[in-house]
Amino acid sequence: MTESATREEATTGSSEFSRSRLEKRVDGLRGPSGIAMAILAVGYAYTVVAAPIDSVQGVIQKILYVHPPLAYGAYLGFVVTAIAGVLYLRSGREEFDRLAISGAEVGVIFCTLMLITGPIWARGTWGKWWSWDPRLTVTLLLWFVYLAYLLLRSFSGSGARTARFASIYGIVGIVLIPLNYYIIEMFGARSMHPENLKGGSLGEGMGLPFLMGNLTLFFAFVYLLILRWDVEGLRALDARRTAERDAAGSGAD
Amino acid sequence: MNVTLAILWKDLVTEWRSRDRVIAMLIFSLLMAVIFHFALPDQRPEEIRSQAPGLLWTAYIFAALLGLNRSFALELDNDALSGMALAPGNRGWIFLGKAAANFVLIGLVEALTACVFALFFDLNLTPVVPSLAAVVALGTLGICAVGTLFSAMAVRTRFREVLLPILLLPALFPVLAGSVNGTIAVLNNQPLPFEAVQLLIVVDGIYLIVSFLGFDYILDE
Repeated sequence: MTESATREEATTGSSEFSRSRLEKRVDGLRGPSGIAMAILAVGYAYTVVAAPIDSVQGVIQKILYVHPPLAYGAYLGFVVTAIAGVLYLRSGREEFDRLAISGAEVGVIFCTLMLITGPIWARGTWGKWWSWDPRLTVTLLLWFVYLAYLLLRSFSGSGARTARFASIYGIVGIVLIPLNYYIIEMFGARSMHPENLKGGSLGEGMGLPFLMGNLTLFFAFVYLLILRWDVEGLRALDARRTAERDAAGSGAD
Repeated sequence: MNVTLAILWKDLVTEWRSRDRVIAMLIFSLLMAVIFHFALPDQRPEEIRSQAPGLLWTAYIFAALLGLNRSFALELDNDALSGMALAPGNRGWIFLGKAAANFVLIGLVEALTACVFALFFDLNLTPVVPSLAAVVALGTLGICAVGTLFSAMAVRTRFREVLLPILLLPALFPVLAGSVNGTIAVLNNQPLPFEAVQLLIVVDGIYLIVSFLGFDYILDE
């Protein structure tokens, strides 16, 4: 039995309110992903320090080992939100809605960090904090979409209606990603970002720390997502227990 | 389909009797024109003409937000929204009715706003009316499709007037990009750019489909 299942039984005293089998099974992956993240982080730190310093950009180029992996995490979070939204609308199972919130929140954290590291790097190499570079613009737009998603959730309270609204919004959000790229391609804004990183486009000695960065932040993403999903499950349990206690209290009056 | 026409007719008749939404949107967009005059002082006529497409669409989008906010607020009285949800058939048709009504009302305000902009900023719009109308219609269709969906969502949350712009504006970037690009070409007496029209058609199509299907879940209960 997993740690959280034990906690759940202890708090509810019954398995009636227990979370879905899916949530419990996924929660079992939290420990291993956390351990993987911790072990990889050590190797990540070592390889980043050991990586050669770029002859043109200097030490600031090492943001490369953080910035793109954060971008992948952000997109992954938003994809999780949209898929979980579709699953929720189709099945009505609350755990998918809880997964959607978790995906959006973790995605927003990754996206925010990416939007912070990007300008720092840009200041060092392009000479200015911000440029209306296509990828930058698209990411900023996306960040606004998911902030709006979180605001929508916080302004509409809890319940099935909020879950449905948020699911729809999450789906519109994911549709916007290709549309925004389409605008930028179409109007021919020139990108200051490199084209897709192809094998060998990284300098010598840069491949390993880049790979380690991707792996570490991927496991960090998985760990945070599961942790957030777990918290959301406990919150739902707490809300149900409070509701039941209130109902029992008013019944006794 | 009958549901769509019934809702469209109901919204237009209600608006005809009160005329409050159209008048509010119109006054708002006139105020925007005056604000632009003060916000961009001492511009040469050719400078202001080059900025006109962006200014026009800024006025359109904010005026549309005002109108969209009221679109479902009307239905909260007497719990009319629940009554609508009971209508037989797919609720997507209700969405189409509301979106069509918004399209007509916002389109009317946009036409009048364009006349005022032409007057204030010395733009000669007469030769480009058909192509300008086409771009504005395509852009407005996108605004109304996704705007009607989000308006139905925002109206049942706290701070609904605040939430609608925050939800809607990020979704309007593709519409704005296509519309402004098309309007720039039209006002410079160039042919309609294919890319902008294509973008607007794709965005309108996607937004209409997503909103039609999604509305079923919005009006539940």
